[in-house]
Amino acid sequence: MTQVRFVGQRFAAMVIIVLALAAAVFALQKMSPLDPVHARLGGQASQGAIAAERHALGLDKPIVTQFGHYLAGLVHGDLGDSYRTRRPVTTDLLAYVPATAELAASGLIIALVLAIAFAFASTLRVPGAALFRLGLMLGASVPTFLLGVFGILLFYQHFGWLPASGRTSIGNAPTGPTHLLTLDGLLHGRPDVTWDAIKHLLMPATAIALGPAVAIGRVLRSSLEGELGSDYVRTARAKGRSERQILLGHVVRNAIGAAVSMTGLQVGLMFAGVLVVEQVFGWPGLGLYIAESIPVADFPAIAGVTLLLGSAYVVINAAVDVIQAAADPRIRV
Amino acid sequence: MSAQLAPEDVLTDEGYAVVATAEDLHVTFRRNGKAIHALRGISLEIRRGEILGLVGESGSGKSVLGLTLLGLHGAGATISGRATVRGRDMVSATDAERREVRIAHLGAVFQDPMTSLNPTMRVGRQVAEAAGSDEEALRLLRLVGVPEAESRMSAFPHELSGGLRQRVMIAMAVAGNPDLVIADEPTTALDVTVQAQVLRLLRTLRDELGCSVLMITHDLGVAAQIADRVAVMYAGRLAELGESDAVLRNSAHPYTLGLMRSRLTLGVDRSRALPALAGEVPSPAAPQPGCAFSPRCSVAGPDCVETSPEPVEVEPGHHSACLRPLAVVRRTDTMGPAVLTARAEPARIDQDTAALSLRSVVKTFGVGKGFGRKRTLHALRGVSLQIAQGESVALVGESGSGKSTLLRVAAGLEAADSGEVELSGGSRPQMVFQDSGASLTPWMTVEQILGERVRDLGRAARAAKVREALSLVGLPAEVGAARATQLSGGQRQRVCLARATIVPPPVLLCDEPTSALDVSLAASVINLIARLRRELGMSVLFVTHDLSVARVVADRIAVMYLGQIVEIGASDRVTSAPLHPYTRSLVSAVPDVGLTPVILPGEPASPLNPPSGCAFHPRCADATESCRDTELGLRLQRVANDDVDRVACINIDLSHVPTPVYITPKGA
Ligand SMILES: Nc1ncnc2c1ncn2[C@@H]1O[C@H](COP(=O)(O)OP(=O)(O)OP(=O)(O)O)[C@@H](O)[C@H]1O
Ligand code: SF4
Ligand code: SF4
Ligand SMILES: [Mg+2]
Repeated sequence: MTQVRFVGQRFAAMVIIVLALAAAVFALQKMSPLDPVHARLGGQASQGAIAAERHALGLDKPIVTQFGHYLAGLVHGDLGDSYRTRRPVTTDLLAYVPATAELAASGLIIALVLAIAFAFASTLRVPGAALFRLGLMLGASVPTFLLGVFGILLFYQHFGWLPASGRTSIGNAPTGPTHLLTLDGLLHGRPDVTWDAIKHLLMPATAIALGPAVAIGRVLRSSLEGELGSDYVRTARAKGRSERQILLGHVVRNAIGAAVSMTGLQVGLMFAGVLVVEQVFGWPGLGLYIAESIPVADFPAIAGVTLLLGSAYVVINAAVDVIQAAADPRIRV
Repeated sequence: MSAQLAPEDVLTDEGYAVVATAEDLHVTFRRNGKAIHALRGISLEIRRGEILGLVGESGSGKSVLGLTLLGLHGAGATISGRATVRGRDMVSATDAERREVRIAHLGAVFQDPMTSLNPTMRVGRQVAEAAGSDEEALRLLRLVGVPEAESRMSAFPHELSGGLRQRVMIAMAVAGNPDLVIADEPTTALDVTVQAQVLRLLRTLRDELGCSVLMITHDLGVAAQIADRVAVMYAGRLAELGESDAVLRNSAHPYTLGLMRSRLTLGVDRSRALPALAGEVPSPAAPQPGCAFSPRCSVAGPDCVETSPEPVEVEPGHHSACLRPLAVVRRTDTMGPAVLTARAEPARIDQDTAALSLRSVVKTFGVGKGFGRKRTLHALRGVSLQIAQGESVALVGESGSGKSTLLRVAAGLEAADSGEVELSGGSRPQMVFQDSGASLTPWMTVEQILGERVRDLGRAARAAKVREALSLVGLPAEVGAARATQLSGGQRQRVCLARATIVPPPVLLCDEPTSALDVSLAASVINLIARLRRELGMSVLFVTHDLSVARVVADRIAVMYLGQIVEIGASDRVTSAPLHPYTRSLVSAVPDVGLTPVILPGEPASPLNPPSGCAFHPRCADATESCRDTELGLRLQRVANDDVDRVACINIDLSHVPTPVYITPKGA
């Protein structure tokens, strides 16, 4: 009961934040010195054509009405047309999003795996933990794009183990239903496609994962260690539970709260990393799309990408809240 | 857990007489590069089926002894000697062996049941971890008196009251029929009526299950109530050991005698300063040669500084570690009255001038987070109280009764929802808190902390004022240069009092200022407050959960229950001839030597949802049908038309005030 209500509240908060984001994007668009009619028709258009276009775009209406139209469009998935590609922004996004989603998700998985390994290895004082930690920290201290460049020099140029650009090197790779090559390969019974996609993902995903891995791992380690010194752990020891039972059965659930919030925060940073790294690795995703849109001031495209990433961030952080509430019954009170 | 027992563990050696021993046990920790000598050669036995009370001041090593027996002393400790449980040495055992002993023979109950239970695991599962199965966990929860045990199995710890949580801890401790339960201050965090229930539960379980209990407590009254034998520790060593009655009523060691004498009971003489043990507990970082108690001992001689006394049998079954013969030690006690301080001059009270008056104060808090899900917590439900100039009033009641909220409203730290707060003269009252360490800025010296309140004085005048304030609270001028973190608990509390009184306030508000202090320190702080009050002519409003403290510091006591004053009257009368059924049960739940407590059932209801009519009716033995009535409109009523005594109960004869009984001091 209370859980349902809790999720409902988080959902309401999410909608409000996305609305605010849409308003901000809309306001920016209005404040920009760029005239969209100009951008569409070019400098030589006649006065009449301009007026007609203004009317067609609804730009002669009051600003509140315009915002209403904008929102109504958003609800129907209409983000306007790109000035550059002349296609609906939504169509463009649908083409570019799967590549980015696959990269970001892989990055997140790698970051979490590394963070968990790092935290548990140091907490349990596994031999070699210090070395592992040093390596991670070193990697995380290098800017993402340099990491990408180093990676290419080492693993592509020097060893030739991993490809340097693109999502796949297989010409007839299946498309659909998910447009995520790793999954589509499996769904079409083409393990070669999946394996090839993984090889392409490995370097860019790791490049964006290292920073978040260290941040999340540090938080997780310190809460694990803090919890291990707490009174209820002493109680569990007094009951005769083993250290492994205590760590897995008692401590983890109490310790993940802070690490989960940190993950939520890091996802934002990771989006920035994705946009950069896509250019280094020629990854056909949103980063490439937006990189081409910015120089020509393709405002609808930029706004679309902003809204999409912003919403993704909001959704992920709402998920963070829900996970935390699931882990800690006291939050639900 | 019994399923996991190796048969030889339970079946052999049925005739054992000793469950656990400490044999010349030394435990040393390292902290900031310094060695902390927590235990310095302690030997004792815990017999089969007995409750051994382990008492002593803070830092004497009680908990370390308990944890060492559990094998939970931690990796950082250096240990010599033995700590055996059913013959197995927990010091030299491997981790696996220790776990085996804990599973088969040991149970543990710790002080704070909130932090000692896993907040994110359902209670039933936590008990089942020790009990082996859900059915057994349920049986244990019923055994320890958890009502509606089935539904409580799936509760999380924060959904239970403090008393229920401690019952859950006890259920885990007795799972698998242990031979020894180690209980470290299991009732210290509980209200006095709940404490009495838990102590009785521990005794009953011991009788039914036949296990031994090591009962660690700083409260001699608790030890007297539950223990068969008592061991007194001082500075990591054993001072005295014997039958409870012998140790507590017929003490053989100068330290125990001092403790018993400075102990606050409902029988101490209010008209004199409390006898406080001089000096402080020695630092465990730098143990002196010889008897650790010698700096504070009134019968110490030169030999005491050289020879460290070993416990010897002074009477059958009664051991004491002192170089003086028993007769000499006991004679110092018979000297008692002579060492008592002179009768203190009573404070001047101006009955006609109110220093602080509160009228119909109501305060609620919204609790719970999120949108529109706030619940209303009724902290104060119409409280009226007047304190005359120079008068001292104590507020007592269990946790959640609203004592501290009332104090904060009086201090202006919290605004009342309705009602009036009036201060004579208008200058702000000063406050002293329980946790004095936290209220002193850590990076400032004592001099700066005190100087802040007299900023507008000139340099020299300010320094003089600070010196004067320090000497008034009995601190040497050198303390001025120290930072709060370098001071002991008692010294910090004195600094707080100096800060509060450097500019004498009309009213001093105290929130449990002594409850974190050891007996002897508490006594000296109480004496200090009494003296400051007399010398500065202040009024005092003193919040405490401890009736014996209230009785000594206050002229009148107001008893609170769920946000209302249910009884108010002269201290002696309230503590010796209480009228209200709740006050009666509070008084009888105070643990003391040679007293059987009357146990009040149930726990305080929640201030989120105070019961209708008289809020006390669900727990009241005298309750009648009309007590439940929502229209009851219960109010404080005068008893026998006098102005001092008032009580809020419909089933009490209000025609005369019972005469206070002077309770003769018990024990020593
Ligand atoms: N893990 C530890 N590391 C360092 N010092 C410790 C440790 N545990 C206990 N000590 C020190 O050992 C001494 C004895 O502590 P212990 O907790 O046994 O006292 P206690 O008698 O239980 O006191 P209290 O009544 O305050 O609980 C203290 O000086 C304490 O600070
Ligand atoms: S040995 Fe000496 S100092 Fe210690 S308690 Fe006995 S008389 Fe006092
Ligand atoms: S009014 Fe009734 S319930 Fe309340 S204390 Fe008196 S007798 Fe008990
Ligand atoms: Mg202790």
